[in-house]
Amino acid sequence: MKYLLLVPEALIVALAVAVIVAGRFAWLPRPWRSFVPHAAVVVVLVALGVELWAGAAVGTYFGGALLQDRFALFVKAVALIAAGFVIACSDWVAEDSAYLGVAMPLLAAFGVMVAASAADLVGLWAGLELVAVSGVVLVALRRPDLGLRLLVAGGIGTTLLLVGLVFLYATTGNADLSGIRAGITGEAPTLAVVIPVLLLIAGLAIRAGVAPFHVATLPVGLGASPVGAALVVGMAAVAAGVVALKLTAALLPIGDSYAPYTQVVAAIAMLGGGVAALAVRSPRPRMAYMAISQLGWLAAGFATHFRSGFGSSLFLLGAFALAATAGPVLLGRAEGGEPAVFGLGVVRPLRAAGVALALLSLAGVPPLPGFFGELSVAAALAQSHNFVLLGLGMIGAVLCVAAAVGTLRVLYMQGPLEESRRGAAAALPAVTALSSFGAIAFALVLAGYVVFGFPIMGLADQGAEALGLR
Amino acid sequence: MSLFLASPSPLPAPGAGLFTSPFLLSLLIWVPVIVAVTIAFMPNPRGRYDTLIKQIAFFTNLALLVLLFIAYNQFESFLPTVQYEEKISWLPAIGATYHLGVDGPGLVMMLLSGLIGVAAVLASLGVRERVRAYFTLLLLTQASINGAIAAHDMFVFMLFWAASIVPIALLVSGWGGPRRGLAASRLIGYWGIGTAFLAVGVFALYAAAGGQSFDMEVLLKAPLNSRVQLGISAVMILAAATRLPLFPLHGWVRDVLSEAPPGVTVIVAGAATRLGAYLLLRTMVQGAPAATHLLSPVLAALAALTVGYAGLAALRAVDVRHAGAYLAMVPGAITVLGIAAVSPLGIAGTVLSLFTGGLAAALIAGVCATLSERAQSRNVLVLSGLAPRMPNIAWLMLIAALALLGVPILSSYMSDVMTFFGAFKTQPIGAFAVAAGLAVSAVALAVLLRRVLFGAPLPDSPGASDASLAETWYLGLLAGALLWVGLFPGGPKIPGTEVPLFDPGLINQMAAGISDMAGPYVLPTPAAPQQ
Repeated sequence: MKYLLLVPEALIVALAVAVIVAGRFAWLPRPWRSFVPHAAVVVVLVALGVELWAGAAVGTYFGGALLQDRFALFVKAVALIAAGFVIACSDWVAEDSAYLGVAMPLLAAFGVMVAASAADLVGLWAGLELVAVSGVVLVALRRPDLGLRLLVAGGIGTTLLLVGLVFLYATTGNADLSGIRAGITGEAPTLAVVIPVLLLIAGLAIRAGVAPFHVATLPVGLGASPVGAALVVGMAAVAAGVVALKLTAALLPIGDSYAPYTQVVAAIAMLGGGVAALAVRSPRPRMAYMAISQLGWLAAGFATHFRSGFGSSLFLLGAFALAATAGPVLLGRAEGGEPAVFGLGVVRPLRAAGVALALLSLAGVPPLPGFFGELSVAAALAQSHNFVLLGLGMIGAVLCVAAAVGTLRVLYMQGPLEESRRGAAAALPAVTALSSFGAIAFALVLAGYVVFGFPIMGLADQGAEALGLR
Repeated sequence: MSLFLASPSPLPAPGAGLFTSPFLLSLLIWVPVIVAVTIAFMPNPRGRYDTLIKQIAFFTNLALLVLLFIAYNQFESFLPTVQYEEKISWLPAIGATYHLGVDGPGLVMMLLSGLIGVAAVLASLGVRERVRAYFTLLLLTQASINGAIAAHDMFVFMLFWAASIVPIALLVSGWGGPRRGLAASRLIGYWGIGTAFLAVGVFALYAAAGGQSFDMEVLLKAPLNSRVQLGISAVMILAAATRLPLFPLHGWVRDVLSEAPPGVTVIVAGAATRLGAYLLLRTMVQGAPAATHLLSPVLAALAALTVGYAGLAALRAVDVRHAGAYLAMVPGAITVLGIAAVSPLGIAGTVLSLFTGGLAAALIAGVCATLSERAQSRNVLVLSGLAPRMPNIAWLMLIAALALLGVPILSSYMSDVMTFFGAFKTQPIGAFAVAAGLAVSAVALAVLLRRVLFGAPLPDSPGASDASLAETWYLGLLAGALLWVGLFPGGPKIPGTEVPLFDPGLINQMAAGISDMAGPYVLPTPAAPQQ
């Protein structure tokens, strides 16, 4: 019964492997192939159900390497929902391989789940890399050059992370997070601890694609297929956010020594993301920049170093995960730039509604989840009297709102392109029962995230408490 | 002073207590949202149900107005407490509650919003393109304004304050004139920055009050030192100045009010902008009285600069809609002068001018929009001698001009007199400067009326026609409301009796909720039983 809690992970990995193998050896008869995404969504829903049903229990596994607590429950539920949306909302005609397109989001979700449950540095790193690899696979399928670029950029991030983790281990003599925290509690911060922390911040910022490091990863996400973009822009950032939350909680005793750097990263991301979102017109880059701006809010929440800030960041992470992963998928093949989505509200109303909701949530427009997440972080910033960061974040949010309105205008107020002028890059996403279900479910989940904000934020708060914050 | 504040009417209004709803304010907020969502997903092949959508929007707003009149009728005036209160715990981790409630000023604003909502729908009946989307956004705008007025929790207030930006920007950029893109960008820029200021102010207040609750009962009654009050009030003034607008943060007003379709112009000029003054009233007068005293010269100066600038800009405008947009800034500045007065009479005038100023601003901006549509030109050099060709619009424009200047029998007279009487005592220089600015506005109005309505008709000017029935109704509704309060400031009575139709009249409602402004009446206590 104890291992029931690992059923969701087992289901997800088993399904991912089965889909990859089935694709490689063409086991499935042709008529059945189109039902692979349907089956995957059902399995994800079952895994989510098990997670929510059994996940309330707290326990450790594999000699303490994995830890099930409220933090893990929150993040795993969010990762499963996000993966479900990626599979359900995808336009499978636009994907290079339906099998890998289904398998990679599942593996990425598994990576996030591993990072969320990790009790030591190895688990955190393994989870993060699993998500990154999934992204590289999908990007390389369509654009090998961009895949290579992502690999190199990710490699730099990984190197910084690994060096930081190793230094941390060497300095504290512990690889498990609670041990690291206990080791540095009551000690004055030394250079030997602070330098690895700075390396970790840089590595995570590269992995998340936070400005100014987005120059390395962002073009990659933009050249990928919709599912690839969802993994690079959304899921990779979620994994980096989860790792950052866990590491920040472990390093809390020396928080003051690195807080200014986190604040600088947050400020640059919030403002830089907003400015860049306003500067570009193409919908996918705009969405990606808005995601960067919201990541800045997430980092600002870490910088507060107290429970309500972490709880708010976790709540925002949930909202971010939903919008940033489902958004690019709902957008479909929008490589043709802004004209590709002209009048999408008329020709694909459900998808357009989903895109609009994702954009507005990323911009922090009320009453969507992103707004509540950002304002919760803002409340934590106010409690810590960090009004400069709060003000910069607000300006970034205003810029994002302006950008979102620009795209909404195009979605709903421009006439759609004539079919003769619509090339492959601007092809309309196919309408299927699954994608319609996905778009409707996405809207409902976003609404539910707001309506049930009380229990969800309560769970996020318990998640922050589980990280050891009081 | 008692002349204005007291209507000797302790009698209960007919029908009092007949209707009670624990969700009255929620109904006013969420019914438009539900209807908007329903309209958004209604199938409308080739505009087949355009008329039905317009009818749904109209009757929804009409029903809300009826509901508001019931609320107004049942309001326990002279009680300085929040009424129709709803309180549900929402986000306890940060101390945000779904707390709604209105006091006197809130009810006055609600009434304004209801009237403006009906007028905006009537003004929008001429919309032909993307009718479904238009009315969806219009109803969402209405809901967000109602939400901001009813909010009694600063988190909820911020939510609705910010929520109005996107639908209005989309309405302007989707259905506006040739410079609609610029207008929408400016609106988002100014209102967005204003929202950022508001957020900083609210969070500073939250932090200063202990960081436990966003409830106005907690935030506005927290004992803050004068330095904190000063900082928060300064930020709130900036937030309000972008919305109201006040000089020099008025950069959006000309483009938005002149490029937006008439229905949007009415709702922006009439209701959405009044939220700026409402914010000042709530956060400064109620929450930071010490800072209000300190900053009152600044407020008076801003009011004077705004009126002066608006008058001069209107005087040299060659576009009739630009002139209307500038003139619509005047009532907001007078409202701010009342706040700067920091006296009971001035504040009473401020509350009343929220209502009258909203109507006057909506009327002048709306009539200029309708006139330019009907005359097929916006250029005052081309428009001339229109009064004989469009008598309805001419009359309504005249009423709008008189309302802006605060002429007797119109309700703006009452509010202007109270505001100026209050301000001359405490801010004589500011009040004089505003009065001088008002004189410039009067000249601008006179020049505009003479040129457009009463000049010699130009032979080669485009053909002009009078307002349609819907346009006459929406402008008439605004003018009628101005006359209603102007003629019956103590509240209309059932003809031939002394029984008040609405007890005890709008002018007294405003006193409730501001403790030092409470009316001279106390609730009648039941007589002791005879032994």
